[in-house]
Amino acid sequence: MAGWARAIRKASAPAALLMPITLLLGVFFLVPLGIMVVYSFLEAGMYGGVTWTFYPYNYGRILGWPIGGGEEFDPVYLWIFLNSVRFALMTVVVTLLICYPAAFWVAGMPANRKTLILFLITLPFFANLLIRIYAWLLLLRPTGFINTILQALGVIAEPLNMIFTEFAVVVGLVYTLVPFMFLPIYANVERLDGALLQASQDLGATPLQTFRRVILPLTLPGIAGGSIIVFIPALGNFIIPAFLGGSKVQMTGNVIERQFLQARNWPFGASLTMLIMAVVMTLLLIYTVKIMRRGDDRQAAG
Amino acid sequence: MGAQRKRRSVLRGALNAYGALFLVFLYAPLVLIFVYSFNANPINMAIWSGFTTDWYKFLFGMQPAGAAFDSAFAESPDKIMAAVRNSLIVALSASTLSTIIGTATALAIARYHFFGKRAYQGLLLLPMLMPDIVLGLALLIFFVGLGMKLGLFTIVIGHCTFLSSYVFIVVSARLAGMDQSLERASADLGAGPWTTFRRITLPQIMPGVLGGFLLAFIISLDDVVITYFIAGVDSQTLPLFILAMMRRGVRPQVNALAVLLILFTFVIASIGLYLRSRRT
Repeated sequence: MAGWARAIRKASAPAALLMPITLLLGVFFLVPLGIMVVYSFLEAGMYGGVTWTFYPYNYGRILGWPIGGGEEFDPVYLWIFLNSVRFALMTVVVTLLICYPAAFWVAGMPANRKTLILFLITLPFFANLLIRIYAWLLLLRPTGFINTILQALGVIAEPLNMIFTEFAVVVGLVYTLVPFMFLPIYANVERLDGALLQASQDLGATPLQTFRRVILPLTLPGIAGGSIIVFIPALGNFIIPAFLGGSKVQMTGNVIERQFLQARNWPFGASLTMLIMAVVMTLLLIYTVKIMRRGDDRQAAG
Repeated sequence: MGAQRKRRSVLRGALNAYGALFLVFLYAPLVLIFVYSFNANPINMAIWSGFTTDWYKFLFGMQPAGAAFDSAFAESPDKIMAAVRNSLIVALSASTLSTIIGTATALAIARYHFFGKRAYQGLLLLPMLMPDIVLGLALLIFFVGLGMKLGLFTIVIGHCTFLSSYVFIVVSARLAGMDQSLERASADLGAGPWTTFRRITLPQIMPGVLGGFLLAFIISLDDVVITYFIAGVDSQTLPLFILAMMRRGVRPQVNALAVLLILFTFVIASIGLYLRSRRT
């Protein structure tokens, strides 16, 4: 009897500790996401709101299948979505190119300086997102810092048109997401075993071979992790394209925002959001499966 | 051997130069705002026309609206104060709640084994990984569907959903680095779980809990996207105020406000990061 009571008490402790987070995420995360999925299959009401009938035509409007209801297939949504994927990929590539050498720079430092530099690299990330975007507005606009300096130096006669371009959007995305790429790569580079590099060299590998056959494979998990957590927020972003891309650069986030707040077609906005969700969930699933397999391998080897 | 050492030092030099550039890239935009916030030129901030603290005075309502100050900003000092107050209310409540929830979660995950633990940990990270726009809109649909009035309360709930995950991670790291023998000793000496937690565990994980709280506070204070969707018409936070300012165009007052917010954020984030990085 006493053993039975103790078993319950033992099981009830984690249950009690996990109760708040379970309620919080259940009620205010999973249920809302579920409702959004449902909404994406409903018809928009005449004056905002929804009609509770099964209505797959929101997806038809985006993807071009079952056409019906009042909806017509418009390839522009798919095109904007693919464009967003392209922006997110460019952001991943640029942040990777920036962060990879930077990780080696920090990893090679003496321990006390390392802490300081890591702190300095993380700090700008805490500056408000809007302020970081605003800073690039000040740098890139025709009367901004870069143009003024270049004109004063006589390098250019007319101000360069940098703001409201794809370039500006990528710069903004890169600047705000750099820490997400840096930290996972750094964690990997930091753990690189110097003996392996030495062995590769002793066996006669050129530096390039050592990099390709030893360093790159060993840092691949960091690259993969960083790429995913840069890609995801970049894909759904709408604030950066709104301010740095102007009306010329459209990302799916901007279309979704307008569907919700201006057109007030929530079901259509929800089905566009599902497009982003689908990509995000697929990426996370692939990543988790790979990580788990890696973990299993290690267990099998040990 | 000498050639190799030489090559290594050249590589090190190149990396150092690169690192310096990297830091310039990270800080130059923020330094620029700082410099511009003292520039008297209200039209083109890139052209220096003298030092002034007028933009700061204006924020605190100390400057009568002269020719340089357009009417769009005439009422802003009051509005800023209201936005600051809203932001602080939200950030304090959301980070306090998330710290309690996140710490409890971290304890359960670190100290107990139960079925489905791995899946649970995955679920805990999901709100952080979800793009902000998805979380914001899901909450908007949910709150409106329930007929809840959008306002500070809904913002606090929305922030808690992802801040608890941040606190969970920070406190988990602290718990992982902690010596469990004291906890066992305490239990062996007859202390109940609650006494052990209060007298042994909590004091040891306190830096992690405080660090988690401060990081949650900063992230809540700075959140734009989720707040944007679930804030009511009369519950503007500071970031939403800045968003509205930016929509009206680039103006020197924004620089001053940005500098103050950057400094405030940096101080709190520094304390949070320091507490987090401190070894047991």
